[in-house]
Amino acid sequence: MSNFLLQLQLLLSALSALLPLLPDALRTRAGEILNIAGKALSLGGVLSTGAEELAQKLAAIRAEIEAMAAARHTVTADELDAAMTRVAAASSAFREALQTAEAATP
Amino acid sequence: MKHPFRALALACALTLTPACAALHFTPPNPIAAAQTNDQRAYALIQSYGALIETAATVVRDPSVPIEVKRAIGRAEAAATPSVQTLQIAFSAYLRAHAAYVTASRADDSTLTRALNALNAASQSLGQSINRAQATVAELQSLMNTHGGASR
Repeated sequence: MSNFLLQLQLLLSALSALLPLLPDALRTRAGEILNIAGKALSLGGVLSTGAEELAQKLAAIRAEIEAMAAARHTVTADELDAAMTRVAAASSAFREALQTAEAATP
Repeated sequence: MKHPFRALALACALTLTPACAALHFTPPNPIAAAQTNDQRAYALIQSYGALIETAATVVRDPSVPIEVKRAIGRAEAAATPSVQTLQIAFSAYLRAHAAYVTASRADDSTLTRALNALNAASQSLGQSINRAQATVAELQSLMNTHGGASR
């Protein structure tokens, strides 16, 4: 999916290069359309990358749980602590990123 | 260009199609692989960690609208405390389980008390899992809709 989005972005860039060839009246409108399309593609690319990253992490966790289930393993206090440390670090990083995003918003 | 708005709508539809296709995927479900409450709770906590890590990546991207980031932030603010409550119930369950294992070498009345405590802790853990799962599902649904997926 990321490759497909990248190809579409390259296509848009190529089309943008042809804008000067259009008559003045059409150039502005065509430029606006390409700009909107570019933003939509850029957001789609970010979300697609995020979805792929999450799918890989969930697949790794599922494999770990399947192994636990097969071994009839009872989760230990150390394993719980490690998982909660991960959550605390991720939550902290998320909130920091959100604050940065808010600060950058005009 | 006779119909600029039609052209604009077509351009938007064409560009949003791959983005929408990317968002409505079915991610692997670690919780479904669990066979016991402790494994289920562990799978949920780990999945939530992965979800928040991905949410942070999405929030760091300047091309994602601030409204989407704020909505993900509100869902995270609701889900993280419920996962912390789950941790408390999980710890209580692990202590009750350890006490039961120790009591299995003791007399019948000690064993019965330990078994009752373990059953109560297991029930409480199950309720905490359900509550946390609901708030985590909200965040995940938001990520699926706007940005990125533990069903």
